[in-house]
Amino acid sequence: MKFRGVMIDAGPMREFTNIVTIISKLSKECVLRLSDDKLYFIVSEDNSGPAPPVLWCEIPQDIFFSEYQMIGIDEDHKDIYLGVMSANLAKSLVTLKSAKTLKMKLTKKQCPCLTLEIELPSSTSQQTRQVTHDIPVVVVPRKLWSEFHEPRVEAPDISIELPTLKQLRTTIDRMRTMAQEVVIRASAEGRLTLQIKTDMAKVSTRFKDLRVEAFEGPIDHSDSETETQANEDISKICHCRVDAKKFSMFLSADQISHNRTICSIVHKKLVILCLHTQENVKLQCFITGIVY
Amino acid sequence: MKCHVPGPNVKVLGRTIHALARFGDELYLESLPDSILLRTLNAAESAYAMIKFNKNFFSHFNYNFYSTEDNEGLKCKISMKSALNAFKSPTHMDKQVENLEIKLDPESSKLIFQLKCKHGIVKTYYVSILDCKAMQAVYTKDLVPNRIISSPRILSEALGNFQISDDQVTLEATNQSLILRNYVDANIDLTKIIRTQISLKPSEFDSYTIGDETTITFTLKEFRALLAFTEALNLPLQLHFETTGRPAVFIVHNGTTFEAHFVLATSKPDSATQASTQNSSRTDKKRKEVNNPVGSAKKKPHLDIDISKCLDEDSHLFNYIDIPEEMDLRPIKVTIDGNSGDKANDPEENMNFDIPGSPTSRIKIKSVFKRCFENTFDPRSIERIVLAENSDSD
Repeated sequence: MKFRGVMIDAGPMREFTNIVTIISKLSKECVLRLSDDKLYFIVSEDNSGPAPPVLWCEIPQDIFFSEYQMIGIDEDHKDIYLGVMSANLAKSLVTLKSAKTLKMKLTKKQCPCLTLEIELPSSTSQQTRQVTHDIPVVVVPRKLWSEFHEPRVEAPDISIELPTLKQLRTTIDRMRTMAQEVVIRASAEGRLTLQIKTDMAKVSTRFKDLRVEAFEGPIDHSDSETETQANEDISKICHCRVDAKKFSMFLSADQISHNRTICSIVHKKLVILCLHTQENVKLQCFITGIVY
Repeated sequence: MKCHVPGPNVKVLGRTIHALARFGDELYLESLPDSILLRTLNAAESAYAMIKFNKNFFSHFNYNFYSTEDNEGLKCKISMKSALNAFKSPTHMDKQVENLEIKLDPESSKLIFQLKCKHGIVKTYYVSILDCKAMQAVYTKDLVPNRIISSPRILSEALGNFQISDDQVTLEATNQSLILRNYVDANIDLTKIIRTQISLKPSEFDSYTIGDETTITFTLKEFRALLAFTEALNLPLQLHFETTGRPAVFIVHNGTTFEAHFVLATSKPDSATQASTQNSSRTDKKRKEVNNPVGSAKKKPHLDIDISKCLDEDSHLFNYIDIPEEMDLRPIKVTIDGNSGDKANDPEENMNFDIPGSPTSRIKIKSVFKRCFENTFDPRSIERIVLAENSDSD
């Protein structure tokens, strides 16, 4: 098993740091999967069973790394799965924003380590200095690989582009102080509604004129007591109740410069939030719906 | 003693107090006919700081204000907390304070700080004197083979790479490079911590002389504190050190008005944990192992002297024998003023040979029973276990 990667461009290094920082906020531990063409960060909840992982992040290696070599265990198991404390990784990468180069290696230094060799410029002279971080990792045994396979989810009923994450986050964070759960409602006409209910009040925020990527309607509302405004076609509305905290956590990803974020909803079951960046990074969050 | 500190210098004094507060809980102030000395010692007695302000630091300096006949110097010990109260925000002090008056009366039980601020505000702090003794460490800063002069920025930037949880740093000084490493205790689970290593080139420093290549380990907390202090004053930092077990002395001075010495005890790198984070330093590792037995042999007689010097019946500070971990190698001898210092020499020294050497030191135990540890703790075996579990072969 071998891995070696080199980053030399400032932009990708900054992005990489941002991604890792976000992941460290979402979860204490994550799995780093290395494959020939992509790096994956996977966060899955313990005992989640067949449910999709909490977070699935794909990073194409060719845009980020100038050199990238890896050898798996054998022909049938080409990938490498490493369990790593995401905070450790994030803390070690803090200096990366000003770094000249980053070398990532898989090493054995009394325990398996992901070694980061960062070349930093000196503030006082033209010299560079070499910083080495050995981050302990756990090599995930092959029998557990299946837990980190690509998520297979139901085809979403609707995919709608989200408004700016910052705006959305302030809204959600206000709502979070009042209620733990938020209902996300998306209509085929490009409307997104966030709604909370408390004993005292019902608060909803509507975003209009959003681009609808896909709609697999009509939606069957026969079993539910969906409230709607009179002038709306109920069969074009899809909704899901989710944990507001989890939703807000994903929204902190606004630090990553991104092209677009898509919210896909499987009616009453699942919300998939997907962030795409210019560098073809895909950061996906899966939030299971709460059903009463 | 009565002295006046002008506004801009109050800021320096404030910064000094804040730096010292990160070392120890008690502040020793001693006034000599031509200077004032501030000293402190940390609780583990592994770090000592002394800052000397010369007469010209003050706008007015009158040693004989209370007409003392005493030429030994006026001494007092106050709690660091109360000193900090008088210097709450050093960064803004120069803008608010016009003048500071410090008064120390040998007959009084209070040390007086009087701050004359803008708009005629006068703040007076009466600080209780806890003791009338001075404490002094003896160390050599001259005639040491290894000297580095550095801008504090280089070192603080380097330390920025370490984790906040790291508490000790190992410095490996060779003629080719200065390597800083976070110290990893043998008891720490290697799978939990990040091992960090920073390699600095000698050309980054203002001056770099390594006469005797060595590896020293000392505390990070105090190192950070003294770096912050030096950085705030924008002065170069001189680092003088010998070898493992001998104190590392950090000196900051601006030539004429003040001089600061920070002394940090250094401990022996634990060879079992000396997991060199760079593959290239294999050869160094071997060299280190050769050196280590020598180091521990040296350390023993040294230790006994230290304890004896540290012990003093009259002192509240040194009335225990247990020496904290980093302390075991510390050649700081403490002489308490006047006759008590003489008293400490003979009888106590004999007594001290009965004291088992630093029972609290885990590091020491490990070096004594090193072989035992090696037999039971073979790092390679651990690796094998991990790999076996994975059933992965590479």
